[in-house]
Amino acid sequence: MDPSGIFPTSYRSDRRIIRTRWQVLALVLFMALLLLAPYLVSGRIIAILNMMMISAVIAVGLQICTGYAGQINLGQAAFMGVGAYTASILASKTGLTILLTIPLAGLSAALFGFLFGLTAARIKGFYLALTTIAAQFLFHFAVLNLPSTWMGGSNGITVPPAELFGLRFVGETAQFYMNFAVTAIMVAGAFGIVRSRFGRAFVAVRDDDVAAGIMGINVAATKANAFLIGAFYAGVGGALWAYLIRFVGVDQFTLFHSIFFVAMIIVGGMGSIVGALVGVFIIRIIQEIIATVGPNIADSVSFLGGDIVFAGMNVVLGGVIALFMILEPKGLMHRWNIMKSSYRIWPFPY
Amino acid sequence: MVYFINDIITGALIGLLYSLVAMGFVVIYRASKVFNFAQGELVIIGGFIVWFTTMQAGLSLWLSIPLSLVLAGLVGYAIERIFLTKLIGESVFSMVMVTVGLLILLRGLVLLVFGPAVRPFPIIFPLKPLFIGDMLIPMNLLMGGIITIVAAVGLSWFFNRTRSGLRMTAVAEDHVVASSMGISVKGSIAFAWVLGAILSTIGAMIFLSGKSLTFLASDIGFAALPVALFAGLESIGGLILAGVIIGIAQSLTTNYLDPLIGGSLGSVVPYIIMLAILLIRPTGLFGWRTIERV
Repeated sequence: MDPSGIFPTSYRSDRRIIRTRWQVLALVLFMALLLLAPYLVSGRIIAILNMMMISAVIAVGLQICTGYAGQINLGQAAFMGVGAYTASILASKTGLTILLTIPLAGLSAALFGFLFGLTAARIKGFYLALTTIAAQFLFHFAVLNLPSTWMGGSNGITVPPAELFGLRFVGETAQFYMNFAVTAIMVAGAFGIVRSRFGRAFVAVRDDDVAAGIMGINVAATKANAFLIGAFYAGVGGALWAYLIRFVGVDQFTLFHSIFFVAMIIVGGMGSIVGALVGVFIIRIIQEIIATVGPNIADSVSFLGGDIVFAGMNVVLGGVIALFMILEPKGLMHRWNIMKSSYRIWPFPY
Repeated sequence: MVYFINDIITGALIGLLYSLVAMGFVVIYRASKVFNFAQGELVIIGGFIVWFTTMQAGLSLWLSIPLSLVLAGLVGYAIERIFLTKLIGESVFSMVMVTVGLLILLRGLVLLVFGPAVRPFPIIFPLKPLFIGDMLIPMNLLMGGIITIVAAVGLSWFFNRTRSGLRMTAVAEDHVVASSMGISVKGSIAFAWVLGAILSTIGAMIFLSGKSLTFLASDIGFAALPVALFAGLESIGGLILAGVIIGIAQSLTTNYLDPLIGGSLGSVVPYIIMLAILLIRPTGLFGWRTIERV
């Protein structure tokens, strides 16, 4: 939102995503810094950045589905899993390049998500959220019980390295640039989606679906679209994940992972793409700290063994979700916007 | 034929156990309009309380069961006080998100406090099954079924016929309207969580009696979820029918279809039934139909 007194004088400036020169500068600096990161920081940080970018794609998808369209989605990890499995099956059996596997992974996840979104034609409100849990369970069931030559069953699938025009993305740095490119495209796309007519329809449905319906928005189709787009992002993120880990197994996509993604958008702030990115950054850092500190604590408190990381992660992230819902339900982006506007009008209160 | 009837009876009794756990969902929903995703965690906390009072503190069953129920009620009350009271007046979305947070928070806490070890659970119901002719019926499920039916009838009467029950029903319709009519939304939600925690503990006793206890037992919460939706989130009496149908369907699938296809279709059958019923009849079998035209 622009402060009062600043208003666009042409359609072009009104439609701009990046509105001021300082924002352009900040964006260019940020991108340049990220691009140079492999030369500036150590391999461990690059590995963390890789995880963050992949999570960012998935969290941005969840942000569109939950933050913009208001559809609680507890199946994002399952949608991610569908994408990851699609990419790894395509890559290991047909050897396609990432130009095909990543979009196809997104599409198959989108189809899976759309199936559950379609139920919106009949189901409203909460019940819709509950079907996403069913998605989670059906995904697990399908992977574990279909013939193991299809999806690897409980053994998982080993994924060959990502390939593009004979170029192989092996090693953290090469993968970093691949993830960077895909994430940049996906996030830029998200900014486009949320201000298009689809995005505005999402916001209308989120705020009041009865009113949205009266204004001529097809509510059921909008909800189904929200799941479609959210799941597409999850699928693309899943494909990147498969290429990064080079192995997919059903344990990587549980309900808990879905809730971790929900935590990311709650911390960052519902209804803000930048918020999703901020949330990913914070939650991933928390997870990284727990994963580093956890084993040390486990040595001193031996009866817990290896479960302490998982347990600690759940306690901290569950606590973070509850605390944010109670204290700052609109997330950090909201707080940042308040700070920004009070800085702008200082010394006046409003 | 005998085996077939036996499978049906066992399935129905397991279904009734699901109904009891699902009753926790419904009671909390009926009195606060909040869908509690952390129901399975309440079951496991109830289980650990029972384990603690009997195996650890060494109390006799007659003393430990009432004590466990009181403690479970306190836990429910504490959760409500710490997390949900502050959210009255916020959107229902926030409250549900808090229960999603609670789901992983409680799971983590149980792991941190009790660890992943497998523990013996006290034998609350006789281990010896009941024999009728060639049929064999597990005693804990039989007793549990009876408890479930009694609880369902009692709570159904409470929510539909008594003054305080109807008050809570009003809260479930609309928080703002209810509080402007002079009904305490706070009190209603607190009561719901106490009751939900107590029902979960009873569920844990029936489910785990004579078995072993780990944090993984909380999966029963998600097994019971389809029953709650199948019955309709507002109906307590309907849970019995829904539980019996889902239990029988699951038992028959596990025993007759799974050997044919060589998978564990039985574990997802409740979810498939749930999706089907939601598409045909979105409010479930006995849920309230809200009139709303778009």
